[in-house]
Amino acid sequence: MKEYFKIAIKNLRTRKLRSWLTILGIVIGVFLIMSLLSLSQGLKETVLKQLRAVGTNIVMIMPGNISDIVTNLTGGMELTESDLNIIRKTKGVEAVLPNVFKAILVKSQDKTKTMILYGIDLRDSLNIYQDDMGMRVADGRWPVPGKREIIVGSLVSSDVFPGLKVGDKATIKGRQFEVVGILQSMGNKQDDMMAGIDMGFYRDITGDREGAPQAIAKIAMGYSVDQVAKNIKKNLEENAKRRIGRESGNVYSVLTSEALGSIVGGIMGIIQAIVFVFGGIAVLVGGIGIMNTMYTSVRERTKEIGILKAVGAKNSTIVMIFLIESSIIGLVGGIGGMIPGLGLSKLIQAYGQVHPVLYIEASITPGIILFGLIFSLGVGCLSGFFPARSAAQLKPVDALRYE
Amino acid sequence: MANPVIKLDNVWKVYRLGKIDLPVLRGVSLDIARGSFVVILGPSGSGKSTMLHMVGCLDLPTRGKVLLENQDISAMSEDQLAQVRGRKIGFIFQQFNLLSNLTALENVMVPMIFQGSLEQERIGRASSLLNSLGLKDRLHHTPMELSGGEQQRVAIARALSNDPEIVVADEPTGNLDSATGEKIMEILMNLHKEEKKTIIVVTHDPQIARYSNQVVHIKDGQLALNHYSEEKILWSSK
Repeated sequence: MKEYFKIAIKNLRTRKLRSWLTILGIVIGVFLIMSLLSLSQGLKETVLKQLRAVGTNIVMIMPGNISDIVTNLTGGMELTESDLNIIRKTKGVEAVLPNVFKAILVKSQDKTKTMILYGIDLRDSLNIYQDDMGMRVADGRWPVPGKREIIVGSLVSSDVFPGLKVGDKATIKGRQFEVVGILQSMGNKQDDMMAGIDMGFYRDITGDREGAPQAIAKIAMGYSVDQVAKNIKKNLEENAKRRIGRESGNVYSVLTSEALGSIVGGIMGIIQAIVFVFGGIAVLVGGIGIMNTMYTSVRERTKEIGILKAVGAKNSTIVMIFLIESSIIGLVGGIGGMIPGLGLSKLIQAYGQVHPVLYIEASITPGIILFGLIFSLGVGCLSGFFPARSAAQLKPVDALRYE
Repeated sequence: MANPVIKLDNVWKVYRLGKIDLPVLRGVSLDIARGSFVVILGPSGSGKSTMLHMVGCLDLPTRGKVLLENQDISAMSEDQLAQVRGRKIGFIFQQFNLLSNLTALENVMVPMIFQGSLEQERIGRASSLLNSLGLKDRLHHTPMELSGGEQQRVAIARALSNDPEIVVADEPTGNLDSATGEKIMEILMNLHKEEKKTIIVVTHDPQIARYSNQVVHIKDGQLALNHYSEEKILWSSK
């Protein structure tokens, strides 16, 4: 066996340029597949981690169908105050938090920036933000209800207003607020660049006195989250029907964090499948390259195969020698593609940390590395199989006579 | 002959070229005794190489039987044939047929790899064979770096690596000048004389016949003359 490896390596060395070109074909495919796979896997993990920070007893309510989410948000569909009350009255709902936010000009350190401002129900539901929504203070404290205080996301002090500290002042619509807290990162850029303010001030400043584009409800202990979510949806839709007086098209989406997780997981799964298909095509092309090289090699070495058979090589030996050669090409290509591929995704991760366009973590696990190695080895073996078999099937006399 | 090592019994070999059948061997019967030195003589196209291929288990007859130590080679599987070629037969070719990317030593070791010998054993036997053939300083040269005569001596060493009973040579001197060719024939003759190996040489050069004790003439795929010439053996004077 060891000797067959030596023979195979010598053969590959004899055809250096061609061997390297064939390896390059695999390198490109594996490079593509590894970088994309590691990034999409990392993206999936990041998103799911954010979702997991939200408690399982939390549901999200929004008007319209979840599949038209963009239309609904831009179309200005909102939950009315009576909708919010219906949610509040549904059995099993512990608390309802209107999810309100608006872009607004904020002035601090003599600079004016547009920020997303959101309202927090500090008086009644602070514990839900902390315990169920995963919002944690990194520096300072939460604002006190009724006081002119704001809390900002982790990126505000580094990106929006560099150098902003707890105790600094910020002016919103002519009113001065004190920054009393900076939150820990919540894992995505949008959330970390927002500023939170007590609900009362939010209503005053923005003029949005009632309703909300979305709401968050906390389900009381001892109730089935799915059942309460269904009831909320039913109550809202029945109310809408009563109000308009006929079968209306009004629908509401009530999403449990589990449902949200599976939707996001599904989308990510599709992304990964697409990534895999494209990367796979690239590797397939590389595999065809191996096959081509090996067939050429069999043809060129016909006489050599005849000699080996004449001195006692069995068919299985010939197959083995050729398979080892193609596997080496596959494996070397795999390693050669994996290192820059995973390197690139690490680089993208590092870039994402310095310039937060998006938080993306490159997922480099032993599983992904093992997968890459076995995959490229498998491609090598598979594409070498038919050439190897055709080599083994040569008749010794015919092979020896070949010039 | 009591117990020939190789027996050809009415052997036919027919090649099919398109729609025409081209018989290359037409009913050849021949016994080769253990330890004999046989020269198969014939012009090119006479079928002598085809006959040698069958004797060497590289090819199977279309009709008739080739018996190697009383075993019908047509009944053997491809793997068994490979095994027989590796263990019992050593091949020497006109074109030397060394593996060009291996050194002389490695070339000699290849047949031993297929028989599963251990590395130490292989290196020991291969280098002693090469030493005995005067290639002591050429062990790590590749065929490209060797002269024709040296290459053929490496090929002889390779043929002997598994200590076969039969050595089969197809025009072994055909690519060599006459002086070098003579040396190669002397080596073969010594193998016959000292190691009692069965040597079968195919050639079109009647000069070679003087080394042998059995000359077989082939013409148009048939045995023209099978001549045992004990009394006329012309051993090289050296």
